[in-house]
Amino acid sequence: MNDDLPSNTNAVQRRNFIKASAMAAAAAVAGGTSYALPILADDPETGISWDKAPCRFCGTGCHVQVGVKDGNVVAVAGDKNAEVNKGLLCVKGYHVGSALYGKDRLTKPLLRDGDSYREISWDEAIKTIADRVEAAPERFAFYGSGQWTIPEGYAAQKFMKGGLSNNHIDPNARLCMASAVTGFLATYGVDEPAGCYDDLDACDVLIMWGNNPAEMHPVLFSRVIDRRSRGEKITLIDISTRRTRTTEACQHYLEMKGHGDLAIANGIAHLLIKHGTYNRKFVESFCSFKAPDDDNPNLHGKVISFDDYQQMLEPYTPEHVEELSGVPAAQIRMLGDVFGNPDLKITSLWCMGMNQHTRGTAINSMVHGVHLLSGHFGTPGDAPTSLTGQPSACGTVREVGTLSHALPGGRVVTNEEHRQQSEKFWNLPPGRINPTPGYHTVKMWESFCTPTDKGGDIGTIWVQVTNPGHTLPNLNKLFNPKGDNKAGLEDKFLIVSEVYPTATTRLADLILPSAMWVEKNGLVGNSERRTQQWFKMVDPPGEARDDCWQTIAVAHELFKRGADSMKDRDGRFLFEVRGKHDKPVPVWEWEHYYDVNVDESLFEEYRQFTRLKHKDLAPYSEYVKARGLRWPVVETDGEWRETHFRFSEGFDPYVEAGKGIQFYHSSTNDDRAQIWFNPWIAPAEVPDEEYPLMLCTGRVLEHWHSGSMTRRVPELSRAMPGGYLEIHAADAAAYNLSNGDKVQIESRRGSLEIPIWIDGRGQPPRGTVFIPFFDETLLVNDLTLDAVDPFSKQPDYKKSAVRIRKV
Amino acid sequence: MIASVVATLNDDGVAYDIIAAIASLPNVEVGAINGNVRRIPITIDSPAANSLEEITRRIQECPGVAFVDVVFVHFETADAESSTL
Repeated sequence: MNDDLPSNTNAVQRRNFIKASAMAAAAAVAGGTSYALPILADDPETGISWDKAPCRFCGTGCHVQVGVKDGNVVAVAGDKNAEVNKGLLCVKGYHVGSALYGKDRLTKPLLRDGDSYREISWDEAIKTIADRVEAAPERFAFYGSGQWTIPEGYAAQKFMKGGLSNNHIDPNARLCMASAVTGFLATYGVDEPAGCYDDLDACDVLIMWGNNPAEMHPVLFSRVIDRRSRGEKITLIDISTRRTRTTEACQHYLEMKGHGDLAIANGIAHLLIKHGTYNRKFVESFCSFKAPDDDNPNLHGKVISFDDYQQMLEPYTPEHVEELSGVPAAQIRMLGDVFGNPDLKITSLWCMGMNQHTRGTAINSMVHGVHLLSGHFGTPGDAPTSLTGQPSACGTVREVGTLSHALPGGRVVTNEEHRQQSEKFWNLPPGRINPTPGYHTVKMWESFCTPTDKGGDIGTIWVQVTNPGHTLPNLNKLFNPKGDNKAGLEDKFLIVSEVYPTATTRLADLILPSAMWVEKNGLVGNSERRTQQWFKMVDPPGEARDDCWQTIAVAHELFKRGADSMKDRDGRFLFEVRGKHDKPVPVWEWEHYYDVNVDESLFEEYRQFTRLKHKDLAPYSEYVKARGLRWPVVETDGEWRETHFRFSEGFDPYVEAGKGIQFYHSSTNDDRAQIWFNPWIAPAEVPDEEYPLMLCTGRVLEHWHSGSMTRRVPELSRAMPGGYLEIHAADAAAYNLSNGDKVQIESRRGSLEIPIWIDGRGQPPRGTVFIPFFDETLLVNDLTLDAVDPFSKQPDYKKSAVRIRKV
Repeated sequence: MIASVVATLNDDGVAYDIIAAIASLPNVEVGAINGNVRRIPITIDSPAANSLEEITRRIQECPGVAFVDVVFVHFETADAESSTL
């Protein structure tokens, strides 16, 4: 008994110390004090060592301090030195560390053997992939995500486009923010927001267009709520198809029908012109006008005059907009007055609501348009800003360009000059890069799920860091046929690199165990152009290995077999990494992968690509020191300086003196942005007599995307255990349904049985139902539509016609 | 598990009453308030790994609380709680 006393006492003391540290951290954050926190120093009292990393989950890019003890992550704290989150985390921060330690982590390569799997060596796994690629390189495809780190995505991109001359590489970001990309390109001629999160500290009005940041980007939303708690006046406006937690905090809620946003944007522009409250000087100095070219649909459209624009907007009176959108005319006039007030600072935020939209490019460019027309652009607090849902949707997908048409740094495969520049940076033989865009996501999976003899020319897909068996739309067309023995897909081969079993590994032929988050080095880029870096802190479990290593190992296996595709123009391996004394390091051998910093080597090579579109990145070593830097990062007087606001003189170093605002990548080559007219068009599928309800899908606070990490955390699973269908009380009554009753919900594409929730987390209006997509036992994407935006090729997950019946 | 959070209060409530309501919750300790009286530092000393989320939710639901942000999480003993699907 006595022997236990000292250790018990020590345990109590240690617990008290940790508790005191926790309180000190919260008090410092709450009070805004700047003293160093004791917990964030390596402290012998706790035995915990600390290092920085961005959070693993969403695209906000919160920085955390990660506490490691005895080779395990044991604590996490918001990083007070990080501008993004100023020491705060959302509730998912409770679990960003424990998400590493689910009991069913994948730890061995597994090869399908009939209906089961057998463990194989990494050597056999790498050779199996190389065999598939070698047999038919043109039928191979790579499917990744905005969870690829920058070096991982860059390696995959180089392997495919620089090695195999194959552009069939696309990310799941095609499903979440491709329309934001095309909206930026159509408007400014270059992708990604001009503003940043600083706008949230400066705006007088925050408009959320189909966006629920209270649940999806909570740290950003709390930043605004904090301003209000300090007595600042800030008006919050929620434009949405259903009430959410965000609505509760807003002074104005504008409930619209699907595609109502197109009419609302036109209604605002109509009023600005009718009342003469648009910013004439801004428009005449910095803007041109565009409309769709119906004879030749493309992102450039056709040039129109201001008078043409005014005439096209003429029908969009508040009353007509009310008919189209369901939003009362008085609220449309309120928006017109807000945008027409030059004394206000207005920030718009959007995410999936505007992007998952068969007119996604149009609505993105139109929201930019109302900001430009009203002159609410280019100063802190005046900005149209899209948010992303993944930690590196911007850094990896949009900047590295892991889209089927893109090359790094804003280049495209169809542009000969861009291909030549890329071949030069990669030291490739001229002509190596294929000028034909590869398959975008929907087309890639449609081809994979189509028998070869019927034109399905994709034979092998390698999936890394995503879960398409859960998140693709219309799964019964785009994924599930792989598991159907009668589908004629016996020759198709699915490779999945993952950390946990998922709806995708269910049908995989080869499963590779991957390292995640601080089990590897990484760099990511968040929603506000901020590039962030971290170092590996703990070892991955079992034989799990970095995704980047997996790609390089396959590339080297092909190189070893003599494949010219894996050689540069001098015959050297495409991924040659040099270490001390400038000697090549065999990084394709796992035991040597961390002999040198592969991330740094790849990043420094990639950095050369970033200057064409003025998205300049600093040297790797600068990101080691910083909590991220917003590009363009330009060296001035020996210091690397980030850019808070693009295109604005005094902030953006690339704006010429005296210009004020300069859209220096203008698609019309005259430093002007384009204000687009686009007509209201009905959704691709609307309710009818047969399918009378509109289905919207989305996320919940507790689970991150498909839940493959967060559903393994018992607390989160208890808080939000399974999928449900939200329905309006009056609709429930009409179907004789009570809370918890099960219904069968059916679309033209699939069906499932699911319990209902009346007046639940969110409240859809009559005629609309909502299902969150996190639950892999209730795959709502069996029901969703695979119709895509004509330019971004992004599907619409928000508007599918369905019917329900009680079971 | 030990965690700390910051509760941001609405600007129209009586801070003392709101803080008293938070302090009455089990396993919760309200810290000293420096500067901004609308941001309250709180520790949660959770007896079980599965109650952190619940306690956080109850703080969020206290009348007058606008938002709860997480600051610090120590989950060293929570490993056994992680699970499979």
